[in-house]
This record gives sequence, structure tokens and C-alpha cells, in this order.
Amino acid sequence: MEEKNIRNFCIIAHIDHGKSTLADRLLQLTGTISDRDMQEQILDDMELERERGVTIKASAVRMMYDAEDGRQYEINLIDTPGHVDFSYEVSRALLACEGAVLVVDASQGIEAQTLANLYMALEHDLEIIPVVNKIDLPAARPEEVAQELEDLLGVPAEDVIPVSAKTGDNVKAVLEAVVRQVPPPGGDPDAPTRALIFDSHYDSYKGVIAYVRVVDGVLSQKDTLKLMATGAQVDPIEIGVFSPGMLTTGILRAGDVGYVATGLKTVHECRVGDTLTTVRNAAAEPLPGYQQVKPMVFAGLYPVDNDDYDALRDALEKLQLNDASLVFQPETSQALNFGFRVGFLGLFHMEIVQERLEREYDLDILATAPSVEYEVVLRSGETITIDSPAELPDESVIEEIREPWMKIQVFTPQDFIGPIMELVTKKRGVYETMEYLDASRVMLTYRIPLAELIVDFYDRLKSISRGYASLDYQFDGYEPGDLVKLEVLVNQQPVDALALIVHREQAYHKGQKLVSKLKRLIPRQLFAVPIQAAVGKRVISRANVKALRKDVLAKCYGGDVTRKRKLLEKQKKGKKRLKMIGNVEVPQEAFMAVLRLDED
Amino acid sequence: MARNSEGSRTVSLYIHIPFCRSRCSYCVFNTYVGLEHLITRYVAALCNEITLLGKYSQHPIVHTVYFGGGTPSVLSPPQVARILRSIADSFSLSDEAEISLEANPSGVDVLYFRALRQIGVNRLSLGAQSADVRTLQLFNRDHTWRDVVQAVRSARQAGFRDVSLDLIYGAPEQSLEAWARTLDETLLLAPDHLSLYSLGIEPGSAMNVWIGRGSLPAPDVDLAADMYEYASGRLVQAGFEQYEISNWSLPGYTCRHNIQYWRNLPYLGVGAGAYGFTGALRYSIVASPAEYIRRLQSVETAPEGLSPAVNQDSIEYVDRDQLRAETMMLGLRLLQEGVSRSRFADRFGGTVEAYYEREIETLKQAGLIHVMEDRIVLTAKARLIGNRVFMCFV
Repeated sequence: MEEKNIRNFCIIAHIDHGKSTLADRLLQLTGTISDRDMQEQILDDMELERERGVTIKASAVRMMYDAEDGRQYEINLIDTPGHVDFSYEVSRALLACEGAVLVVDASQGIEAQTLANLYMALEHDLEIIPVVNKIDLPAARPEEVAQELEDLLGVPAEDVIPVSAKTGDNVKAVLEAVVRQVPPPGGDPDAPTRALIFDSHYDSYKGVIAYVRVVDGVLSQKDTLKLMATGAQVDPIEIGVFSPGMLTTGILRAGDVGYVATGLKTVHECRVGDTLTTVRNAAAEPLPGYQQVKPMVFAGLYPVDNDDYDALRDALEKLQLNDASLVFQPETSQALNFGFRVGFLGLFHMEIVQERLEREYDLDILATAPSVEYEVVLRSGETITIDSPAELPDESVIEEIREPWMKIQVFTPQDFIGPIMELVTKKRGVYETMEYLDASRVMLTYRIPLAELIVDFYDRLKSISRGYASLDYQFDGYEPGDLVKLEVLVNQQPVDALALIVHREQAYHKGQKLVSKLKRLIPRQLFAVPIQAAVGKRVISRANVKALRKDVLAKCYGGDVTRKRKLLEKQKKGKKRLKMIGNVEVPQEAFMAVLRLDED
Repeated sequence: MARNSEGSRTVSLYIHIPFCRSRCSYCVFNTYVGLEHLITRYVAALCNEITLLGKYSQHPIVHTVYFGGGTPSVLSPPQVARILRSIADSFSLSDEAEISLEANPSGVDVLYFRALRQIGVNRLSLGAQSADVRTLQLFNRDHTWRDVVQAVRSARQAGFRDVSLDLIYGAPEQSLEAWARTLDETLLLAPDHLSLYSLGIEPGSAMNVWIGRGSLPAPDVDLAADMYEYASGRLVQAGFEQYEISNWSLPGYTCRHNIQYWRNLPYLGVGAGAYGFTGALRYSIVASPAEYIRRLQSVETAPEGLSPAVNQDSIEYVDRDQLRAETMMLGLRLLQEGVSRSRFADRFGGTVEAYYEREIETLKQAGLIHVMEDRIVLTAKARLIGNRVFMCFV
């Protein structure tokens, strides 16, 4: 297809504003997928995605569309994740597009991520097509939302396309707008080949499948290809497009979006952000690379069963093939033995990784409480960075501890300003500004330590605002803080995996909460188990888990040995999920207890 | 049919009588109130089932028979006699067979017991449960402690030498003192055997509902542990030997039927909701008495040796690994006998350590088992936490 008949675009939206449903309708409307084969959220092919209704992986699909001007267009839709943790994935997808459909819920209006994603799209010079979705809802107020968009974008409100992705109403207008407004790719088909890798997934037969946008030249299965950053050479196993399944075409031309099955076994050789060219006629310069994304949240992941260590490493490596933002390195804990320190983009990302390890790789894993990366200035003048409380040196050698701060934007109806202010203050946040979006909604800007943000902030924000408030955040530099290590001793032994870095003023309160929480979570053992919280040498809180006295099945119900055995098997299985710390069995929840210290 | 250590084909027979006059608040057994009109047909079905099983399994020796319930004492002596006659006709009923029957302390008298004794029942197990009025009321028992006293007296008068009492401890609001009084009252009755059960709150029981609603406090497990330890001491003083986690007897009065279970030897279960173990598979019989009667009407064969009333979904084939595991799990409940090394080796062709080296070592280190020359038994401290030991083998 000639470049002038190609359109590459993505859909950006705040979570739950109907991005995936709109994508489904576009696929149906273009006949890319038959009504019969349609399943909800076709692009979200991970079980987890469909369950949570959230797009995690970017996905690309080619549609052929017969437009009203009588011509056929190749329209490539690049689906992007909707959660703030994944804004880096969005940024990569944006680089492969010339246009973006901005979807806003007709009843919710503009939310924090609507804005964040929009700014990102504008940074990449994308043509924005504003759409108001869910006009079928009784609470829909499409005119008002269109007005909000006009104020925001400067596009006339009447140009905002009202649709219902659910019913399919007016969805065709979106395709027409894409054809008319999004510019064609505009690369050079005769120049040396350059294709941008914007995502990848791992296939056990075909190796790393690189998702590519061809900018210049041609990608052909006959050519030996080269990855410009890593220098790796590849004889592609297969080249094709997503339609929406993988469809071999053998060739991709300038402007096309598709895939290259590289046969590569590791992501290290096929990095997202790299440029593919041909060995025969190599391009001189790679395309501008993507921004490297730094993980913000770190946690130890340990196999519950020590024998699963290798399996966990393999699984993390596999996940890394699909998830360039995931970083990990081996870590040893006195309490938990061998595991990995894993870096995540955020708490949601961490949850997703954890769930995938458990579901897709059938691993029982144990996660320690998430931590941020601290800069520690030592008396010696040296500065070290640590991402685990266990690494914090003794107080006596520390000059200063610096922690990462974030700038956050909270969008909320004004009724919730009070409680939100209270929450932020409790989390050591600092108020910056408040702007009215309209008569009843405001944007609050605060600065807050990341360590506070990653501990149940989002959940609590949602709960105190009855789900109305939305959140976006950006890194805002390191700042010194009066921080101390809160240690937890179980049966007199300090447990490294339970240690926390907290603000000195919160140490007493958190220590008490943590101890009483652990007392509830640690099951009774064959002996009494003291639990203590300490700062330095000083114990600030203690409690005792009483010894277990009785655990025996009484009667054999008229000889029902099967039931008896099954009860024991179940009990044994439950015990297997416990982790031995010294001679104390500790359930996995204990290591996450710190996440919910503020609950009552 | 498995052979036991004596080398002969001997089995035990459990007969379930799923009828009660009222339902106890802790009970989740297969029993029904208000189905007394089915009893006559039920007994006929039992006899038919026994005949079919005996015929198919080529008349093995039955050395224990146990009428359990429900309330077996709802049966009239002639009904019990009919059942025993079917057993004698279709199996080889040993002359020394232990024939137990569970009886409710109310509605029985010396005439009833005498009739039972005459037709061959030689062991009575009375559901005494508690000497405390409030606890009996909480349990919704239909008798008083006076009825228990009278029932024991009647049993003795009728010539029963082997009388057992069931007691339950650890009830909500039951004090240690009240439990001690129950034990004292019980010992005054000079029973030969005692089964002491810790109250379990089971889903489906009335008590579970009350506790769920908050109208009754949950039992205190630590207090139940105190009660158990108190009872252990008190009963030893009184000359009883604790031969199983929940069972005590005077010397020579252990319940052979019980021991058959703990040794993991075969027992056939007949009657609605009964469980059975042939040595190769475990099964249960359909729970509904009406369905049970229907299934046994005009049937003359027992395909594959299983009752026509077997619940097909319940059939579980026991392979060697599982048999071994269950032999450990059950055998360790026998506090004196434990798992006999010679019986184990005869049965599985290897020592216990050959199969469970790591488990045995760990448990020994933890002080939960004694490994002796001829057997392996739980230590005193492991009795109350037996699950921690048993689960190592399943």
C-alpha cells in the first residue's frame, strides 16, 4: 500500500473510559474480525488483562478500511495501556503513530491520565482526534465534556465526536476522522531501511517477536537484518502484520506497522527502542531511541519453596522479554534465602508481575514490602544508593538520607478537597496549588515522598473520594529526610525482609501497628513467639503470639478416612505456603502487612 | 480382600442407622428426624445389602460389628436380631466377635438391653456427652444425666460387661470445673471404656449457625486443651489407659472395631451414609435412607463386590503410596500400639524409615514421636497437636 493511504494512530484515554471497547468496534466495523469471532476486548489477550479490564501490553493491529472518499486505507491501530504505571509504554507506542484518538468518558469528563496522555501525545506532535464516549449512559453530558475539551485543546466543541463504543453508535465517524485528519506516515520508501521497535513479546517457537513501525525503506524476509544498538544480526523467521492474529506478509514497507519474528532468544539482543536496518544497505543513523525508563519501586521476590529459585529466574527472564521495564538482580535475604530484587514502574506493575508469575508460571512467590531508591550520604563523604531497607548502613556512619519526591496532580470534585488534603498531609505531602477546572472540579497539585505514594495512597484516594478522584505523578527530585530504619524481630531474630525505612516521627506509630498486625498474621506455633519493633537498639513495641496448644482431628466420622486425609492434605498445603524464618512459620501476608498499616 | 497380620481374612462391619428422635446442635452426621416410618423397610434393605456383600466376598470372617448412628437404639431387638442373623448367614461371624451398639440414654431400659444382650450384642456405647445441665441443653440432647445413670445401671443389670460412654468437652461457656465434675460423675458410673471428643464446630450444624450469628461464643481452643490434659491425668489416676487420641479403656476393654480403623484394616460399611474400606478402595453409601431403600429393592447382585447403593462419586482407589500414608496417619493415633514395625514391614515390604526417612528424622528431632525398636508412637506432647505429625505423611 502506498504511504498516502496508510494511517497510524493510537487511542489514549484515562482508565475505564472505554478505549478497549472502542478498539473492538473499530475491528468489527472494518471487518478485521467477524462479529461471530468477536470476544470482548479482543486486543487484551492476556487472561489477566481481560479480568481486570485493563490493557497492560501494547498491541498493534492492521485494519483495511473503505472510506467514504471511495479509497481503501490501511489503518494501523496501536493499542496503549491505560494505567499511569505504564505511561512509558504509551510513550513508545506514540512514537510509532501520527495521530491519537483521545477518548473521554461522557459522564466522568477529563481525568488525570487524560491530561497526562494528551500532553505526551502533543509532545510527539500527534494529530489529536477528540472523542466523547459512552453517550448512551443516562449520566452522559457530552456537550459539557466537549466544552471541557474545547477549553483544553482549542478545538471547537462541535468537532468533538460523540460516540458510544458500547452500542457502536457513530463509531464510523472516528474512522473517517482518522483518514481525513491523521497525516500519512511520510517516510522515504527508497532510503536505507529503518524500523522502530516499539514493543515485543516472546514466542517459544519464533523467539522474540519485535513490533515494528517501518519508517524508511522496506523490511523483507529475504534480507539479513541488523539491530543498530546491539549490533545483533537476524535472519527473520517471519515478517507480517497483526490482523489481529499474526498474518505473514513477508514484507513491510515504509509507513507499515507489523512484526518481525527474530528468532532471538533474549531481549538483551532485541531491545525495545532499537532500530532495525538491513545488513546489505545499512542506515547511517538509527532512529531517535526511546527514553530509558527507570524503575521507581523495588521489592524482593522470593520463591516460597527454595527449590523454585531457578524457575523464578527463568520466569522473570521470560517476563522481561515482554516487559522491557522490568529489571531484576539476585538478592539474598537472611530470612528468605535466595531471591531477586525486582524494580517496577509502580505498585500496579508490581501486582501484575506478581500475579503473572503465580498464574502463568505456577510459582508460589513471596514479595517483600515495596521500597523506593534512597541516596545515602555517608560520614566518609561517599554517597551510596540503596533500594532495600536491609542495605541501609548503621545510623552511626550516615550523614544524611535522601528520598525521592514526586509531584502529583489530583483531579477531584471539590467536595473531597478536605479529606484529600488530610490524606496527603498524613502522608507527609506538601500542598502546592489548586486550580478550578470548572465550577465543581479542581486540580490539586502536591509534592509527596514516593515512599508514601507507593503505600496504599491510590487506594485510599479512591476510597475517600468515592472513586471520583484521579491521580497522575511525575518524579520531582531527591530531598533529605529524617529517616530511620524500623526493624522487626521475630523470636528475637531481626528479619531483614520485614525492615522498613520510615520517617522518625512515624516510627513509633508504624512500629506499633506493624507489630499488632504481625501478631494477627503469624499463626500460633508450637512455642510462644515474641514480635518486636525496634529503631536502632531501642525496642518501641512488642507482642506475643501464644503457643499453639491443640491441633488434632477428633473423631473419624464413622470411618471417613478420605475426609480426614483430605483435611490434612489441605492443612499441609497451607503450611507449605508459609515461610520458615528461623524456626517460625510466617505467612506471605506478613511481608505485605506494612502496606496496610493505616487501616483501622 | 486384604489379609491382616493373623493371615486370615477378617473384616469389620459398620452398620449405620440414620434415624434420630431429635437432632443435636453439634451434629453433622448422616441422620434424619421424622423418618421413623422407613425403619422397617430400612432394616430389610440392610439385610439385603449384607447378604449381597457376604455372598460376593465369599463369606469372610467378621470379627467386629458396630451399630452406629444416628441412633441405633431406635431399632427394636427383633430388628437388630434380623440384621445379626443376615451377618451370621452371609459371613463367618466369629464366636468371639465384638458386637457394639450405640444407644441413647433416653428411651432404653433393662428389658431392652437384656433383649439385645440375648441376641448377641456384647458392647454398649452410650451417648452421655455431659453431666452439666446447661451443656446438655446447649447440645439439644433429649436426656438428663439421671437418664445416663439409669441407662448404665440397666446395661449392667442386663449383663453387659463392656459399657462405654461418649463425652464431649470444649463446649462454648463450659468451664474447666464443669468438665471436671462431668468426669467425676462419669467415673462414679464405672464405665469400661470412654471416648472423649473435643467439640468441633462443623458447617451445617445448628451451633455453627448460632456462633455465626453471634448468639453463642466460639469454643475456646486453649481451654479445650486444658480439659484434655486434665482428663488425661484424671483417667490415668482412675486406672484407664489411653489407647487412642480420643479413647480410654480399662485393661482389656479397648474397642476392637475402633482399632480396625486405626490399623487401616478393612471394614465394610452398610446402611445409608456409611463409609467403607475394602482394602483396595474406599467408598460411601448414598446418604438418603429413601434412596438407599430404593436401590436395594429387588437387587440380587453386587457388581464388583460393591453395594448397589454405593455412591459412585465416592469411590476412591487406594494405591500403595496412599495406603502407606494412611497407615501412618491412622496408626500414630494409637498411642500405645502406634505403628507396629513388623506389621508395617509385612504389609509394605520395607521399614518405616525406608519410606519416610526424612519425616521420621524431623519428627524425632522435634520431639513429636518416639522411635522404638518394635513401633513408632506419638510423644505425650504430640497428642494434642497430632495433625502436625500426621500431615507429614499425607
